[in-house]
Amino acid sequence: KLNIGVDTIQHGVEGLVYLLTESSKLMISEVDFQDSINVLGFSDELNKSLLQLYLDNRKEIRSILGELAPRLPSYHSLEWRLDVQLASRSLRQQIKPAVTMKLHLNQNEDQTAQVLQTDPATLLHLIQQLEQALGEMKMNHCRRIVRNMK
Amino acid sequence: ILDDPDLKDIDPTVLKHCHAAAATCILEAGKQKADISAISTCLEDCKLDKERIEQFCTEYQKNKDALEILLGSIGRSPLHITDVSWRLEYQIKNNQLHKAYQPSYLVTLNVEKSDSGSHPDVSFSCTMEQLQDLVGKLKDAAKSLERATQM
Repeated sequence: KLNIGVDTIQHGVEGLVYLLTESSKLMISEVDFQDSINVLGFSDELNKSLLQLYLDNRKEIRSILGELAPRLPSYHSLEWRLDVQLASRSLRQQIKPAVTMKLHLNQNEDQTAQVLQTDPATLLHLIQQLEQALGEMKMNHCRRIVRNMK
Repeated sequence: ILDDPDLKDIDPTVLKHCHAAAATCILEAGKQKADISAISTCLEDCKLDKERIEQFCTEYQKNKDALEILLGSIGRSPLHITDVSWRLEYQIKNNQLHKAYQPSYLVTLNVEKSDSGSHPDVSFSCTMEQLQDLVGKLKDAAKSLERATQM
């Protein structure tokens, strides 16, 4: 329809993609973007459209780029259940409480589920440790860093 | 036992039989949580004299608790969590995205398997909201544990 060769279109698309991803990655300002494309010698109207394209899509591109970073499996959810072991092959008449959990994790679009178990004492220890971890974000040290690094 | 100087006069096969018999008796008693009278009756049936029965029972009583703990720990169970470590990090940039300011937690659950040696720990990352969700669920579990013990 455009009457141009396939290669030219391909290069055009690739160029556009590169322009937008690099600009979004570096989060450059409007002024910098305009300066950069002015060098290419396009018409004013084209420059304006390119700038608009950049501003409109920059957030979405950034969130997609964010997904590409190296990641560990991330938390999805946790199911739990309370069990009491009453007997086993090696010992009868027991009362052994345990908490059985199923930890759901996401890794690169696959969901894995792992079954884990713990005893009441360790459970309380886990809760205490993780609450401490949550508390850290509210401490002055973290707040200061977050503020100063924007 | 085979190296014990007091026992070197006895035929090693007989020694092994005795050891096996004693071990079996002790383990069965432990498994069934038998009390002293039951053990005495059983040993009487085996034609042991009173003094020996008393000695056996005294020794058994001394080690009963340790035996029960040992027997209770045998058996299969899902991976057992022994500890947790966490790390709070603040991401500044990566090669795909600059200025990617984002705090995240890295949590590692130290895990131990009863039969084989060790097992790779379970690690995962999460946001503050996700960690709050996790802690909330763990607290629910702890609360229902408490309620169960009061029943």
